[in-house]
Order: sequence, then C-alpha cells, then structure tokens
Amino acid sequence: MFKPTIGLEIHIQLATKSKMFCSCSTEFGDPPNTHVCPVCLGLPGALPVINKEAIRYGVKLAHALNMKINLKSTFYRKNYFYPDLPKGYQITQYSLPLGFDGFLEIPMEGKIKKIRIERGHIEEDSGKSIHIGDITESEYSFIDFNRSGVPLMEIVTQPDFESGDEAYEFLTLLRSIVRYLGVSSGDMEKGALRCDVNVSVSKDENKGTKVEIKNLNSFRSVKRAIDFEVERQIKAIESGERIIRETRHFDEKEGTTKPMRVKEELNDYRYFPEPDLPPLELSEEFVLEVKNEIPELPNKKAVRYIETLGLQEDYARTIAYNKKYADYFEDIVNKVGHPKEVANFFLVNILGFLNKKGKDVDELTFGSNEFKELFSYLDSGLISTNIAKSVIEESIEKGISVKEIVESKGLVQITDENVIKEIVVKVLKNNPTPVSQYLSGKKQVFGFLVGQIMKELRGKGKPELVNKILNEELLKLEKGDEP
Amino acid sequence: MDITALSVSQIVSKIKTKELKAKDVVLTYLTNIDRLDSEIKAYLNVFHDYALKRAEEIDNNPNKKGLLLGVPVAVKDNISVKDFELTAGSKILKGYIAPFDATVIEKIKEEGAIIIGKTNLDEFAMGSSTENSAFFKTKNPVNTEYVPGGSSGGSAAAVKANETLIALGSDTGGSVRQPASFCGVVGLKPTYGRVSRYGLVAFGSSLDVIGPIGKSVEDVAITLSVISGFDLRDSTTAKVPVLNFETYLTGDIKGKKVGLIKEIQNFKIQPEVEEAFRKSLEIFEKNGAEIVEISMPHLKYALSVYYIVAPSEASANLARYDGVRYGFEGNADNLRDFYEDTRTKGFGSEVKRRILIGTFALSEGYYDQYYLKASKVRRIIFEEFKRAFEICDVILTPTSPTTAFRFGEKATPLEMYLSDVFTIPVNLAYLPAISVPFGVDSKGLPIGIQMIGKWFKEEELLNTAYVLQEEAKHV
Amino acid sequence: MKIELERIEKLAALKLDENERGSMLKDLEDIINYFENLKEVETDSIEPMVYGEKIELVLRDDIVEDSLHLTDLKRLRELFGDGFFRVRRIIGE
Ligand SMILES: [Mg+2]
Ligand SMILES: [Zn+2]
Repeated sequence: MFKPTIGLEIHIQLATKSKMFCSCSTEFGDPPNTHVCPVCLGLPGALPVINKEAIRYGVKLAHALNMKINLKSTFYRKNYFYPDLPKGYQITQYSLPLGFDGFLEIPMEGKIKKIRIERGHIEEDSGKSIHIGDITESEYSFIDFNRSGVPLMEIVTQPDFESGDEAYEFLTLLRSIVRYLGVSSGDMEKGALRCDVNVSVSKDENKGTKVEIKNLNSFRSVKRAIDFEVERQIKAIESGERIIRETRHFDEKEGTTKPMRVKEELNDYRYFPEPDLPPLELSEEFVLEVKNEIPELPNKKAVRYIETLGLQEDYARTIAYNKKYADYFEDIVNKVGHPKEVANFFLVNILGFLNKKGKDVDELTFGSNEFKELFSYLDSGLISTNIAKSVIEESIEKGISVKEIVESKGLVQITDENVIKEIVVKVLKNNPTPVSQYLSGKKQVFGFLVGQIMKELRGKGKPELVNKILNEELLKLEKGDEP
Repeated sequence: MDITALSVSQIVSKIKTKELKAKDVVLTYLTNIDRLDSEIKAYLNVFHDYALKRAEEIDNNPNKKGLLLGVPVAVKDNISVKDFELTAGSKILKGYIAPFDATVIEKIKEEGAIIIGKTNLDEFAMGSSTENSAFFKTKNPVNTEYVPGGSSGGSAAAVKANETLIALGSDTGGSVRQPASFCGVVGLKPTYGRVSRYGLVAFGSSLDVIGPIGKSVEDVAITLSVISGFDLRDSTTAKVPVLNFETYLTGDIKGKKVGLIKEIQNFKIQPEVEEAFRKSLEIFEKNGAEIVEISMPHLKYALSVYYIVAPSEASANLARYDGVRYGFEGNADNLRDFYEDTRTKGFGSEVKRRILIGTFALSEGYYDQYYLKASKVRRIIFEEFKRAFEICDVILTPTSPTTAFRFGEKATPLEMYLSDVFTIPVNLAYLPAISVPFGVDSKGLPIGIQMIGKWFKEEELLNTAYVLQEEAKHV
Repeated sequence: MKIELERIEKLAALKLDENERGSMLKDLEDIINYFENLKEVETDSIEPMVYGEKIELVLRDDIVEDSLHLTDLKRLRELFGDGFFRVRRIIGE
C-alpha cells in the first residue's frame, strides 16, 4: 500500500488598508501601478517600515491556528531576481517566525483529523507579471506593482494530509477562520489566498520524493491536483520509474499536473537578517489583547451547534463556516428558539431562494419577527410545515409579513373537528365502493379517501385530524354502527 | 567682505540682519565652482539655477529663519534630492531623476540651506579615493596630483576648494572621515541611528550613516543638529534627543579620559602621521585630559569583518538595479540575459567585485564560515569598544595610516582597503567619530586625527574635536 | 579557497567576460584568503551582531498615504498599456 504525504504552503493576504512596509493602498483591481511609492517600487534610498496592523492580524491568525507566538521575531532578506520583485529580495520572516507549532483539527468522515502547522510568518507580496499568451512564448511581460508589498502571512503545514479531500476540508476551514477574524478576505479568485502543495508517496517508512505543485486557483483545483498527483506518482513507481524532485504546474482544463516549462533558477536564496528592520518585539500584553479580540471560531461554533443545539453535522458546519449565516442563524435562535427547524428553513428554503435570486444573506429582511410569527402558527398547528415553506418564500419575495400572507390567503388549517367530521361522513356516503373495498380488507383505499376529504376541505384540513376522524368513522362502519 | 571666510553661523546671522544677501553667498560659491571645478571636478551636477532661485526666495522672504539660512550645501550624489538626477556615481543609475527627497534633504531645506549641487563619489560609495566614480576622478584641492580620498571625495574636495561651505557625505567604513583627512577638512560620522538613512542609496545598511563635512567643528556641529533625529521612515533611527551641538563646544576637556589603543603600534603608519598623532595626544594632556591605555586585541580583524559584512549587505542592496524600472537598460531578447547585460555593463569593476564577494559570503555552504562568522566577530569588536568606553571618554587614532596617495598608486583592492583600517571599526561598532585636520606631511598633504566618541555622545566628541582644532591653529 | 565564480555570477546576475573573469577571480581569492584570519577567533558562544544599540523598533499605523503618480513613473520608464512596466520575455531558449 502506498501512503501519500501531503503538505500545504498557504499565502494569505492580510486585509490591512496599507501595505506591509509602506503607506500605499492595498486596494485590489485598480489600474496598474497606481498604488506604488519609492518603497514598494524599490527606488534607491527607500526603506521599509512595518505596518502595526499587519502584525496584529498575524498574531490573531497565529492564535486562531493554535500557534505559539514568538515575542521576538526577525525579518530576513530572501534574495532572487524576478521582475515582479522590485528590490531583488523579499523581506520575509525566516529563523524566528511570528507563530510556530500550531494545529488545526478538521472533521473527516465522522472523525477528527489533526493537521499540524509548522509555522506562520509575515512577509511581503510581490507585484504581478502579466503575459500575453504563453509565458515562454510572449515577447514581453507586463508588470504591475500594485500588489508589491501587500502583507502576507504564510502558513506552512506539516505533511499531515493523506488526500485531496483532507486538503479541501482544511482550506475550507482556514478560509472561514480568516474571514471570522477579519484578517483576510480569503478570496482565492482575487489571490488573497494562494496555496502550493507538496506531494510525495511512499510504500514504507522512508519519505518519497517531494513534488511541488503550483498554479492552483481554487480549492477544487487543490483537491484535483493532489488526487491526480498521488495517482501519477503511484503509477510511476509501480512501473519502475523514479520520481524526480520538481515543481509541477496544474492544468485546470485537463485536470493533470505537468512539469513547469520554466527552467528553474539556481536555488540559493542567501537569506540574511534584514538590516533595515531591527527585531520585532511584542509585549505579552499586546499578544493577550489580540487574543481577547478573537471571536468564537467556526470550528468551535459547529461543535456547539451539534452538541447543544442538536443540529445535524453538515447543517451545523454549513452555517457555522459562513459568518453571515451564523450571525443570522444565531440571531433568530436566540430570539425564537427552534434551532433545528430554523436551520432547516434557512438552509433549504431561505438559502435556496436567495441563491436563485443571486442575493446575499445580509440583504434579508426576513428576520426574527417573521420567524416568531411563523412558529406561532406552526406551534398551534394552524399551518403545516409545507405551507410554512411557501409562506417564507413569498414573504421574502414580496416583502409581506407572514401574518398577512397566512391571513389573506386563508392558509390557516381547518382544525374544527365538527367541520372535518361532517365532510368525512359526506365522503364516505358518496363513495360506497371504496368504502366496501376497505371494509373487506383493502386498507390502501384509506389514502384515496383522505385525498377525497382533503379535496373537499381545499387542502386545509389538518392532516392528523383528518386521519384521526376518518379512522374513527371507518371503525364505526366496521362495527356496523350507522354513521 | 570675503564671504568664503564666513562660518555657517556668521552667514546665517548676516543674512538674518540683511547685512548679507543669500544670493551673494550663492554667487560667491558658484563663481568658485565655475573657476575651479573644471580642474578639481568635485561636482557631478551643479544646481546653478535652482540655487540662485532659492537664494532669491530667501532674500525676498521677510520671515528669515533657519539654522542653515542661505548656507550653500553640496550633497554627495548618493543622497536623493527630489527632481534631480541621482547617480550614486554609477552608470547604472544614469538618467534616474529622484521623485523624492531624502529625510536629511527635507531637514536642511526646512532650515533654509541652499543645495548647490551633487558631488562626485566612488561608485555606490565603494572606494577610498573617488577613482571608482563611473564619470571622472576628483582631485585633491591641496595637490591635484593626489586623490581626495573617498568615497565622499567630491564633498570633501568641494569644501576644501571653497566650492561650498558645507557638504553632506556618507560613511560606511570611513567615507566621510578619510576624505576629510586627505583634504584637510572636518568630517563627522554620527552614531548609527542618529541620522535617518531614508533617501541614502544603500550600500552596507547596518554601517551606512550620513555625515557632514565642513571647514570647522562648529559648522559641522550645526549641520549635525539639523540632520539628526528619529525618523518614522527609517526603522533604524534612535529616539534620542537632538541637541544644539554647537553650544557644547566649550573647549573644556579637563578630567576627560582619552583612550590610546595599545595595539595601534601593530599597524603600519606613515611616520609623519604617527608623529602628528603623538603630538595630538600631548595636546589633550596639556588641556587637562588624561591619556589612558586601552586594549583592543580584536581590532585587527575589523577589516575582514567589514569586507564580509558590507559586501554581503551590498549584494542585496544593489539587486534592485536590474534595468526594469529605472536607470540604465541593457540589451537582450530575454529577461535573464537582460539582467546580466544591464548589470555587467552598468556596474564598474569595484562594485562587481564587492557584489561577488557578498554573494559568495552569503551563499549556501559559505554563510556560516563568512557572513555569520563576521557578524559574530563584529560583536566581539563592539564589546571591546564598550569595555574601552568604561574607562575612557574618547578614543584617539590617526584617521588614516597615511596622507593622500597619488592617482593609481594603490595597485590592488586590498591595498586600497587598508587605508580605512582605523575608520572601519567605528562603523562596525555603530560609534560616532570625527576627523579633524592636524598639520601636514612633508609634501604639504594634510594629516587627520580621528576621535571616536561614545554612542550618541556627539556633543562630547565635538567638544574634544574643537579643542584639537583650536590647538591645530598654532601647530 | 577556490571560488565557483560562474555560479556566484549567476546568483548575482552578472556575466563577466573572459578577461575580466581572470583578474576578478584572483582579486576575490586574495580578498577571501585575507578573511582567513577570522578563523583564529573563537566565536562559539557569541551571538551575531546586526543591529545597533538603543534602537527600538517603531511600527507605522495602518494609514494610506499618497502614492507616486504616473507622471513620476513615466520619468523613470516608458509605461505600456494602462501603465505597465515592460520586460523582455521571462524565459530564454
Ligand atoms: Mg513565502
Ligand atoms: Zn508603496
């Protein structure tokens, strides 16, 4: 049996207003080179100055990922030439990262899997190179330095993953955490979260040869790339090939990994301490203050939803991992109760409806007051769950209150036993054949009779009552009593 | 009135009282430049029109304020002045127009200084003779067959030749003090962290300091007061109060302890320099100071440490000159070759040599043996100074083992490096030091005495220097 | 001490011509040999030194300030498209 060993390196853009070492805006999507200055353009004589907020965000994220914090951390220069790296070196933490020795627990097939985190360090982003057509063929590349110097926290995991699914689950939780903390948008499509993967497979205790995969543009790509690469390496080994240590590129269309056509540079980054930035020393108080700012995180929330609110696992996670959902859900449950029902209505009806309309949860006006009314009808048996669902949709769509819809449409159920009994007797009288079939033992006719009664009641008969009264009347007939 | 005989404080007060026009001051110095600089070649760029315009503004402004009001200042061309070319003496930056002011430039402008031009230097401040400028060699105004020293050779020569009153230089291993010594002017290297490096073209970031060069200790002291101070744009500046340094020049050094490094006898020193040095010690004694012997057995390693640390930092600092965003552009049809072409053609040999040394010292397999080792020995040297300053207030050495040498005289890089043996340890230990002219050798070439002060104690250092300066007038 | 000069050149993005390489190699070897004296110094228990004294790191607040304008950039280099810097293709043959 081959065992895959997979590690992730994740770059998370920190959502500060200004860059890591200069006061340029971090705004995404503006025209090229409109957020650049001597510092982030690497002009002669410019010097870096650390953004305090970036450090705060970094500490927050390190805490959330259960890392230990280095009260003294250091910045280094990582030297290499690339056109989107204006200084010819990247300022990054090396020997003493901000955070180290953390972990994150992910749910996998009903169990908990612990992924260890080696380190979390602060660094600056590079600019962006844009190639017209293929990188190897286009005559020129175009460089935009707006992203140059945006703060990043790089999270390096231990090689604890064994499948693409685990990586997918980890990234989903991680993204949720950074959004809860407000330290990053976590948007992969905007490059605010980027992930490289290291994959090796091995039959024995010896580590296999590590292959790095780049160009992963979505969590799904990460999963697909891992699954493909594991498979590829196993097949290669089985057919007697040697795996070479290399960087591969994920081909989105084909779902395959390919060796980078880019010739790899001589890899010798010549790290040395950044003389322009003395060590960063944090006080215990600062670290504690930041720790206290951390809200209940999605993984904890999900557990609470399951254990104390009784939600089913997938519902609990879907709600908990999305801060907007969780805020909405908790607001309602705090005021109205009924967590399971609320979760159900929210995930099945409300979200379904919003998705259809392309709207977001924070645009909802259907809130705790509406749920309160809805449950008062439901609890007293005045409407059925099915009707409640259509009421919700109509209320959201038209912006009309629950009460108005229920009343104006006469959706309230018939619960008057006398009224129902009258109709039951009438139906039994008008359907002698089915009745005699029932009496002679063909019990499935019961459903037909319910249908006929409901038709007479225009669907509003309370089903439990209809069933109960029909049963009673049929029993009387069986005993030979006159109805 | 001989304007060039006036000190900074005299010029400022005469302009304030309207006894003197800033324009006349500037014209005097510009005239000297016109007359002399075709021979001396101290300047890479003279700001004729700008300087005159600034002078007129000062003359027309009824509000006459500023510690350097109307004072012409020449700026070493590795300091960024907004809207002017910044070359760092290198072909690779030719044509680069700086879009911002260095912090020191903002500060001197605020105090009314008039920037009169940019001075020549060894390319990227790497050198001790200004022969490594990509553009031309600057001559020593004392004797034009000799080098002015370096790397701030243009700044020192401009002051000596009366082509400016004050100049700014930068000092990574002696680049302010050694040319000041060779040209017979006063040059100060402040404590590391005293003056912002923002806008100074980086060479050895943990060693670089901007320092003033002037004709007198007083002028240098005033300039230091102007350029000093914590700067939020330079994370290595210290939050230490800025003093009015000129007021500390009392000439009273009674009871002060002057350190004499025992091991200095192991260094090869030109006899006339040695003699001047001995004489300077006597002068301090005569003025009531006590000479104490200190031992610094690791001083002899300073040169090795320096020529590892500075090039290592430089190899990264100079990586930004890749031809992509500004400056000289090479020619090639792919990026890699373009980088190599740009940098190989754009940098001179000494710069390439140091980039290669630094790259080597940091490279895989050599880092521990070179960069890390040097950083450790640097601490030993630092600690030796620390111990020395427990028993003395100032340490005396010759600024350079020799007086100025002839062009082309230093045949190998190593020989050239040796002219900084006494200045380099000061940078390694982040200390302040000053070079004051003290007599001449048999050829009439100036001799400089270096005084090294305690960290952030420039006021004491300057006062010591002042004593020597006053005594030198009678030598 | 032997130096793999070509490897160092590659790392430094320099490419000396053959003449230059010979004299450079000699200079570098002389200089690096000069460093040999450091071996005499016992440094096992010594912390390396990079930063000066009394320097307390001050951090910036997260405030956006004006960036350089395109007119400034155009004085540095010709820009292309909507304001891009341009480089030769990234890969050689
Ligand atoms: Mg990184
Ligand atoms: Zn910037």
